[in-house]
Amino acid sequence: MNTPSNDRDRMRQEAARSVSRRWFMQDCGVGLGAVALKSLLAENATAASGNPADPLAPRMPHFPPKAKNVIFLFMAGAPSHLELFDNKPQLAKYDGQLPPPDLLKGYRAAFINPNSKLLGPKFKFARHGQSGQEISELLPHLARIADDIAIVRSMTTDAFNHAPGQILMNTGSQQFGRPSMGSWALYGLGAETRDLPGFIVFSSGKKGPSGGNSNWGSGFLPTVYSGVQFRGAGDPVLYLSNPEGIDEQEQGRSIAAINRLNRMRYESVGDPEINARISAFEMAFRMQSSAPELMDISQEPKHILDMYGAEPGKPSFAANCLLARRMIERGVRCVQLFHEAWDQHGNLVNDLKANCRDTDQACAALVSDLKQHGLLDETLVIWGGEFGRTPMVQGGSDGRDHHPNAFTMWMAGGGIKPGLTLGASDELGFNAVEDKVHVHDLHATILHLLGFDHLKLTFRFQGRDYRLTDVHGNVVKKLLA
Amino acid sequence: MKNPLSSRTVFVPILFAGIAGSCSAPLQAESGVFDRDKVQQVRTILSNKCFSCHGPDETNRKAKLRLDAKADAFAERDSGTAIVPGKPEESLVVERILTTEPTEQMPPPKANKPLTDHEKTLIREWIAAGAPWAEHWAFVTPKKPAVPDVKDRKAVRNPIDAFVQARLERDGLKSNAPADRTMLVRRLYLDLLGLPPTPEEVDAFVADPAAEATEKLVDRLLESTHYAEKWAQMWLDAARYADSDGYEKDKGRQVWAWRDWVVGAFERDLPYDRFLIEQIAGDLLPGATSDQKVATGFLRNSMINEEGGIDPEQFRMEAMFDRMDAVGKSMLGLTIQCAQCHTHKYDPITQEDYYRVFASLNNCHEASIPVYTPEDEKKRADLLLRIREIEERIRELTPNWAERMSAWEKAAADRPEAKTAWEILRPELDTSGGQKHYLLEDGSILAAGYAPTKHVTEFAATTDAKKISAVRLELLNDPNLPLGGPGRSIYGLFGLSEFIVTVAPKGKPGEAKPVRIVRASADANPPVKPLDPAFDDRSGKSRVTGPISFAIDDKPETAWTTDLGPGRSNVPRQAVFVFDKPVEFPDGAIVTVRLNQSHGGWNSDDNQNNNLGRFRLSITPDPAATADPVPARVREAIAVEPAKRSEGQNATIFSHFRTLQPDFVELNRRIESAWTEHPQGSSQLVLANREAPRMTHRLERGDFLKPKETVAPGVPGFLNRSRAGDDVDPRLRFALWIADRDAPTTARSIVNRVWQSYFGTGLVATSEDLGSQSEPPSHPELLDWLAVDFMDNGWSFKHLHRMITSSATYRRSSAPTADQLQRDPFNRLLARGPRVRVDAEAVRDIALAASGLLNPAVGGPSVFPPAPAFLFQPPVSYGPKVWPEDKGPNRYRRSLYTFRFRSIPYPVLQTFDAPNGDFSCVRRSRSNTPMQALVTLNETTFVEAAKALALKTATEGGTDDSARATFAFRRCLARKPTAEEVAELVRLKTESARSLQGDSARAWKLAALDPAKPPQLPAEMTAADLAGWVAVSRVLLNLDETITKE
Repeated sequence: MNTPSNDRDRMRQEAARSVSRRWFMQDCGVGLGAVALKSLLAENATAASGNPADPLAPRMPHFPPKAKNVIFLFMAGAPSHLELFDNKPQLAKYDGQLPPPDLLKGYRAAFINPNSKLLGPKFKFARHGQSGQEISELLPHLARIADDIAIVRSMTTDAFNHAPGQILMNTGSQQFGRPSMGSWALYGLGAETRDLPGFIVFSSGKKGPSGGNSNWGSGFLPTVYSGVQFRGAGDPVLYLSNPEGIDEQEQGRSIAAINRLNRMRYESVGDPEINARISAFEMAFRMQSSAPELMDISQEPKHILDMYGAEPGKPSFAANCLLARRMIERGVRCVQLFHEAWDQHGNLVNDLKANCRDTDQACAALVSDLKQHGLLDETLVIWGGEFGRTPMVQGGSDGRDHHPNAFTMWMAGGGIKPGLTLGASDELGFNAVEDKVHVHDLHATILHLLGFDHLKLTFRFQGRDYRLTDVHGNVVKKLLA
Repeated sequence: MKNPLSSRTVFVPILFAGIAGSCSAPLQAESGVFDRDKVQQVRTILSNKCFSCHGPDETNRKAKLRLDAKADAFAERDSGTAIVPGKPEESLVVERILTTEPTEQMPPPKANKPLTDHEKTLIREWIAAGAPWAEHWAFVTPKKPAVPDVKDRKAVRNPIDAFVQARLERDGLKSNAPADRTMLVRRLYLDLLGLPPTPEEVDAFVADPAAEATEKLVDRLLESTHYAEKWAQMWLDAARYADSDGYEKDKGRQVWAWRDWVVGAFERDLPYDRFLIEQIAGDLLPGATSDQKVATGFLRNSMINEEGGIDPEQFRMEAMFDRMDAVGKSMLGLTIQCAQCHTHKYDPITQEDYYRVFASLNNCHEASIPVYTPEDEKKRADLLLRIREIEERIRELTPNWAERMSAWEKAAADRPEAKTAWEILRPELDTSGGQKHYLLEDGSILAAGYAPTKHVTEFAATTDAKKISAVRLELLNDPNLPLGGPGRSIYGLFGLSEFIVTVAPKGKPGEAKPVRIVRASADANPPVKPLDPAFDDRSGKSRVTGPISFAIDDKPETAWTTDLGPGRSNVPRQAVFVFDKPVEFPDGAIVTVRLNQSHGGWNSDDNQNNNLGRFRLSITPDPAATADPVPARVREAIAVEPAKRSEGQNATIFSHFRTLQPDFVELNRRIESAWTEHPQGSSQLVLANREAPRMTHRLERGDFLKPKETVAPGVPGFLNRSRAGDDVDPRLRFALWIADRDAPTTARSIVNRVWQSYFGTGLVATSEDLGSQSEPPSHPELLDWLAVDFMDNGWSFKHLHRMITSSATYRRSSAPTADQLQRDPFNRLLARGPRVRVDAEAVRDIALAASGLLNPAVGGPSVFPPAPAFLFQPPVSYGPKVWPEDKGPNRYRRSLYTFRFRSIPYPVLQTFDAPNGDFSCVRRSRSNTPMQALVTLNETTFVEAAKALALKTATEGGTDDSARATFAFRRCLARKPTAEEVAELVRLKTESARSLQGDSARAWKLAALDPAKPPQLPAEMTAADLAGWVAVSRVLLNLDETITKE
């Protein structure tokens, strides 16, 4: 019999969409290496999991991946590249002067009149490590791991408002409705653990991310691929705790009864979906103990806590960094930490000091810690915000406006060439001029490191094969180790 | 006229005898072997693998060859002919798809779209059979196909079954027996109401001996408002409904009136064509009612970005793109979004087509109108009537009122204020502070975008005037302001804390000096009142609003407002500020006005601004200038020749005139008193046409900064023709075109989605896209038959529901056989009934209904059921949001009414795959995750439902454990439990109760909704027993079957 669709890949999509959302199958903790190398798009791709209806079954990407996990340290609000990574002596020289008029042609700014005076960098830079990477005095901890990271000083983006900028950085489009990067990774690779969600999100800082949940949403991908928000205090994940008055024994007894009754129904109607629900309840019950265990950083030795600057029982960006490592250890595919604090329209100097105090140590610790746990090779760490900040001043002399033409991000681990400084902006830090890396290129590169040809990781929606990179993107070869 | 196949007619299979035609009638074309299905299959392959380079999009077309148009595909070309009908060996297409030479091979290897061997063979066979050409099925107006004859006529209750059975027989798949009545009644309740039946309702149905018991039940359910609520949800998804703006601020908005309009439309079975027309252009219908204006809220469900740094026009354009997408998906069933940037690669939608439709929708204000709950609406109508009666009474008591009014009019025209010479200033626009300002043609300034809650805006204008004695500030209405303005607050009003003027000689801004304002007058001077709590700034200071003197008193805590109370404050106003002495510069002056607007609230990420919305500044040399006491609306009316005045204008003049007459004091006082009872009401985002048409341009790559040639409103040419004449407004013309009987996709698309809602998958699985790239329908003739039948029956949803629910296909048992699971795992051939987990809203509503907590109230502002408070605070939410958790009956309203923040979706619903309204969704995911288990196990509402069900079970469920277990079971699952199931539940109850025996404090905590007020229990029952029933109830509410439609 011909099913109405004889396209296997479509079947898998359809299965993922409308049939079983199995969070786990038995014994699926199979590492990438253990799975036979099969192309995601091969005819028998679904056969690899043995279950076409399991959207989270581990799958092999297009080619052997360099990284299998991603941690994105998302510095929401847009940090100033000019104070942190992109040293511009000329900008210091022209401080207080107007920018050259042709630089501003067609330039749109969010708040300021673009024809505002240039503002020299507020902090000093020095070269660090054997690689001699140039890093600001605000980031002493990162400076110590300069040789482990690659700094991209030539990032560009299309958006200069927060919500569209963040949505673009996280989903590849300024228009809402596209799947987030983490969702794509989960869709492509499946999950390695079923004891925890495959894509976990934290939020710290002054505000929540602009654009909210859509930053980690699954867009038109099945909802099973969307990120799940955790938090550092109280219930780490919503509704994890038993209702008041119900102890573990009572909960266990109830879940056992639920599953026995579900099994009886399965025996009578035979719908495999019931089995998936039975598994979901078992998993939920396990998660009720595994998630608090995961979140309990007091189990970490003191020197590790000190290394991050994390304190048990006190939610912080530092604690979230440490949790990110613990999650990667437990097989979580993607972790994204949102830290909204970087929108320095004013109070640039003091806010940057405070922000770096809050984040620098933990970011550096995360990379070092992953390294000492042997996880850095297979984990891609990304640091950056949605855009950069204007070389021109906003307000008196202590603020910068949004700026999409040039900004800096850094990456480490997972197939990234360590110690590399890639690209350059012009002498004022206004336009990226050398080895420009657009957000789409970044996405293409991330997918490449995860083993995907970004042109081929697609999902059919509304008659079109959508990609994370839409119709753009080039892998930045120079970044690859 | 009653359709012969409507629900009450049992379809007699014998009718089929002798009816010609089969499921896939051979085309009359050159071939007898290639049926319609196969031709469409070939078209799908060509679309998938070839059209992106050889399709409608001219810009990217390769070798100037297009394969989506017959003439081009068959045309002789220098390089050969792509398709030679009947001669595959001479067809270039065949040569190129069969070659293994990489440079020759089609599709080229780098396109990554290889043809399978099966596909190659099919193309070859198709050409050999004469290449019978067919347009894409969905682009041809559907005709009602003949109902096929089938072998097993007993399987057929109505035409739906004939189509389904024909396919089953073709594939040799055996269908299930009918579901038992209990399964059927629960299925019908869940499908039609989204709520489970009570055990009494189940029993009544099972016991009903009538031959047409099911039809009777369906009729009854279709009359229920709960039916309308259930089906409104489908449309709300498609319409990307949410109660907030989205983007960063994600402020709450008032759009529940539109949601209620949708519920009402389903309830009264508003014909679907009408349903569409009103949502696109209800405001343009003759004598449009408030309801029909509310309907246009559909297009306004777009997100709004009010971040500080935005260009409002950019995000108006984003909203336009979103509207196009929503219209495409929800109404047309087509993906038109692609054509925003370039001509569609698969469907014949050109980029110009896209912008023609865009132009049809583009000539609008982003307006908001007042709306009222039904109770308020009644109150309002009553008091307006009362006022009219009193005014009538005044006229009766004053036979010469007309002469007196006319005399007053003349005097008003002669007043000095009417003659003051004002020069309108056209100032530089303030760009600081994030709020954007537009200078309109009449010299007025419109504020838009981010709205700070406390700020000072500065407007400097250069004038040649040599003498300036006063400045006038006019506050004007604008459709783009809340309730039409003149302010930007949620009431469309404002607070002007201070009005400050400086002047400088022309060209010498450095010499600016402040001006002392000694006298201010206004046409509205409300009494002193504490500032509305909506604008609380948490400073603890007492802030007040009142007369115009508050704008020049140099006190930051006082502000002028024109708020005279609800119902009559959204009108133009003016104030005049007179200098202590005239300012004189021989060469003209720079006048700078600072508008201090500090009477907003503490949270600029919420709706707490109290800013001016649209205003105009003028100057005069006249030191005696005073604000015109005659309101602008009255002046306008007086200006019209008496004979030409409308009734409304006469009423406006009279209502003002009477207030000035000393002999009407008492009656005026009664009118004033009536006005104080006017309800505040709410607002609704709607569309309103602009008077001056807005030009639409084709946008290069969809970039609003790259406008190309202008495009006139119109419709895509490849679908039906537009019947409406050029005299019809383009937006209405577009609406009529979409809802046309000949529209090929309109009826098919909605019928398919209704089918999807019943069976889990549509007849076309890709319900958002019926275009070239869509998945071929599983039952193409059935889809067409249903679409035409739907239109033939007045586009009636209720008719469609009757048709589907009366089919044997719908009524089958849903338990799959091994053969079905193996051969048709997704039940596309419909050999069995649907078995799917219910939608998010129903998951929660089932718990509320089964437990008896459900509050069945219909409509009104959205509600705030329990949710963790931290979700609405940073750093989870961008800004602090308000979630005033309902403690009263609103806590247990149907999920449809839950307030929906786009950036922070209500977690219970989100976890069960409810979309968040970012974009139009016509097909939900259906996931099955541990997070869902955590929700139904531990979330507050589910826990409260378990407690309520337990108490109900304890008090009403019978006298022994087995009866009680059965009672609770049936409230959730309708059917009677098996002995094994009862034993399982009773054991659980006993064990749970035992573990709490003797600890009644803990037992109450677990068992009572409010442990401080433990409920009355039957004599023999303890708190521990009740806790045992809570455990049972919780288990029942968590069963797969409870949240599944079987």
